[in-house]
Amino acid sequence: MTLSTSPPGRDVAALGRIDIAGVTKRYGQAEVLSNVSLVIEPGSFLTLLGPSGCGKTTLLRLIAGFTQPDDGIIAIDGRDMTGLAPQQRPIGMVFQNLALFPHLSVAENVAYGLKIRRLDQGDIDARVERFLDLVDLAGLGTRRISQLSGGQRQRVALARSLVLEPSILLLDEPLSALDLQLRKQLQVGLKDIQRSLNTTFVFVTHDQEEATLMSDTVVVMSAGKIQQAGAPHDIYLHPENLFVAKFIGDLNEIPAKVVAVSSATATLETAVGRFDLPQSAFRRFAAVEGKACSLCLRPEVLEVRPTSAPQHLDAVSLRARIVDRFAVGGVTRLILSCGERRLTAVTMTHASSWLPAPGDVCTIRFRVDHAQIFEPLGADMAKAFGERA
Amino acid sequence: MSTEERATPSALLLILPVLILLVLFFGSVVHLFSYGFYEDGEFSTRYFLQIADRPDYHVVFLRTVLSSLTVAVVSVVLAYPIALLLWRSDRWRNTLLIVVLVPWLVSLVVRTYGWIVLLGPRGVINEFLAWLGLVDAPVKLMFNDLGIIIGLTHVLVPFAVISILASLLEIESNLEEASGVLGATAFQTFLHVVWPLSLPGAFTALMVIYLACIGAIVTPILLGGMTHNFVGSQIYQEVMYTFNMSKAAAWSICLLGLSFLSLILLKTIERRLLGKRS
Repeated sequence: MTLSTSPPGRDVAALGRIDIAGVTKRYGQAEVLSNVSLVIEPGSFLTLLGPSGCGKTTLLRLIAGFTQPDDGIIAIDGRDMTGLAPQQRPIGMVFQNLALFPHLSVAENVAYGLKIRRLDQGDIDARVERFLDLVDLAGLGTRRISQLSGGQRQRVALARSLVLEPSILLLDEPLSALDLQLRKQLQVGLKDIQRSLNTTFVFVTHDQEEATLMSDTVVVMSAGKIQQAGAPHDIYLHPENLFVAKFIGDLNEIPAKVVAVSSATATLETAVGRFDLPQSAFRRFAAVEGKACSLCLRPEVLEVRPTSAPQHLDAVSLRARIVDRFAVGGVTRLILSCGERRLTAVTMTHASSWLPAPGDVCTIRFRVDHAQIFEPLGADMAKAFGERA
Repeated sequence: MSTEERATPSALLLILPVLILLVLFFGSVVHLFSYGFYEDGEFSTRYFLQIADRPDYHVVFLRTVLSSLTVAVVSVVLAYPIALLLWRSDRWRNTLLIVVLVPWLVSLVVRTYGWIVLLGPRGVINEFLAWLGLVDAPVKLMFNDLGIIIGLTHVLVPFAVISILASLLEIESNLEEASGVLGATAFQTFLHVVWPLSLPGAFTALMVIYLACIGAIVTPILLGGMTHNFVGSQIYQEVMYTFNMSKAAAWSICLLGLSFLSLILLKTIERRLLGKRS
C-alpha cells in the first residue's frame, strides 16, 4: 500500500475497484459460496446483506485475503489477488468486535499501521491527529481503549484503518453491538466519511434498514449465492425473487395457484379470492396452469376504501375487515382480515382522508401492475426466515 | 419474620470456618513472633543480631534471593515457547497441557531423587560424559547452586506455562488479523501485539515462582547438600537438628520480611514496565 501525502478525499478517485469472478468457497462438504460474481465500482458504498450463514462474511474475508477461494478470481484494480496475504492488499478492515489493541492508547492504535510502515514520528503524529479529527475524536488520543464508550471505540477502529488511506475499506457488521440511537448516528457519519474520502466501502450487515440507508448498491445474498444486486430502491421495487422481496421491506405474501391461462391474462386462485391478472404481472414467474406461486403485495400498494367506492378497471378489489389500526406519526398501519389471511396496509395519515376503525368492513384495492408473483421459496431459503421470525 | 433474620444462624455457621482459619493462621504467626523475640521467657533480639552480624548467614540470604531470581527467569524463558505452542495448537492444547502437568503427579521428593540419579557424581550425565571421553573427573552438577536451580526450575516451569498460556488465551482472536490488515508481518504482530499482551502472564509467573523459590526447603536440602543452604533449609536444620526454635523463628521472620520486600519491589517494577492497563 502506498501512502499519498495529499489530504483525504483527493487523488484516490480511480482506485478501489473489485472484480469478483466465479468465486466458490467450501468448508469441508459445505459450499459456503457458489460461483459468486460481482463488480464493485471504485468509490462506491456497497453492502452485502443477508441472513446469518448466507456467506456474506466469507465473501468479505475472501476479499481481505484471510482465506483463499477454492475457485474463481478476486482482482483489485485489475490485479489478481490470488495467494496474496491481507498485508499485501490495498485494503483496510473494521472487525465486528473492532479488534482494538487494548495495550495501546487511542493515538497508538491509530498510529499502529503507520509505525509498521516506519514513517517518521512527525508525519505519524500529523496523520493521527488529522484522522482523529475526521472521526470526531480530537483530543482523546491519550485515552485508553477501556476508557472509551462503544461509539468512540467504533470510531477509533475506523480511524485506525482509514489513516493508511486504503482504496478499499471492508466493514464486518461493525455497528451490530451498539444501541439503536448510536447506530443511527454512526450510520450517517460513516456515509459522510465514505463520501468525503471517496474510498470504496464494502459493508456487511444483516440489517436491511442499515443497508438501504447507507448504500449505493445493495447485494442481497442467501445460501451462498447473490440473489440480487442493485440500488436499494430498485431492489425494493423490483425484487428478482421471493427471497429478496421478503428480505427487503415489509410484504404481504399470499399463497396462490394458477388455475387458468389465456394469452392476455392468467387467473389466480388465492387465499384472499380468485381474480385475473394480466400476463405482464408474471415477469418473474411463468404462468402455467396448476402451478403454485406467491402473490406479493407491499403494504403501501393496498388502498383501503369504503365499500361504496367505485370499481377500477385495472385494479383488483377485495372485501376486508379492519382488525387493528396503529397510527404512528404520519403513517397509519392497518391490519386487515381478508379471506383466511391477515394483510397489512400502510397509508399516510391525513386529517381529511377516510380512516376506518377496527371492526369496519371496507374494500381493499391494488393496481394489477403493483402485484408481484414469484416462485415459492425453496426449503434452504425458507430456513433463513424461520430464523428471523 | 424477614428472611434476613432467619438467615442469621446459618450465616454464623458459615462464618465459623473462616474464624477457625483466621485464628489458626494469625495465631501461628503470633506464635512465631513470640518464639522469635522471646528466649527463656525474656525479650531478646539475639538471633536477629546474629543474622545481621554473620557473613556466612548473609551468603545464605543472598544465595536464596539470587538463585530464586535465576529460577524464576529461567522458568519463564523456558515456559514461554511451550505456552506459545500450546496456544497455537487448538486441537491438541488439552492433551499437551496434561503432558506439561504430568510431573506434578509425582511427589516432589521422588522427583528430586530422580535429579540426583541424573546429576550425581556417578549419575547418568556424568557417566555419559566420561564414556564419551569428554571429562576426566565428574563435573559437579549438584551439591551446589546449579543443582538447586535445575531442581527448582523443573518443579516450577509448569506454573509459568499455565500463567503465560492464560494471558495468551485472553488475547482476542482477531487482534492478529487486525494487525495483519494494518500491514504487520507475523513477526511484527508477535512483537507489537502478542508479546506485550502476554507480559502480564509472564510477570505473574515470575512473581509466583520467585516467591515459591525463596521458601523452598526440600530441593535445596537434597540437591544443595549441607554446604549450600537456602533460608528454608537453614530453618529446617535449626528445627530438626539443633532444636533451636527461637533461632528458627528469627530466620522465619526474616524470610517473611524478605518475601514482603520482594513482592513490593516486583509489583513496583511490574507497574513501571506494563503501565496502567485496563
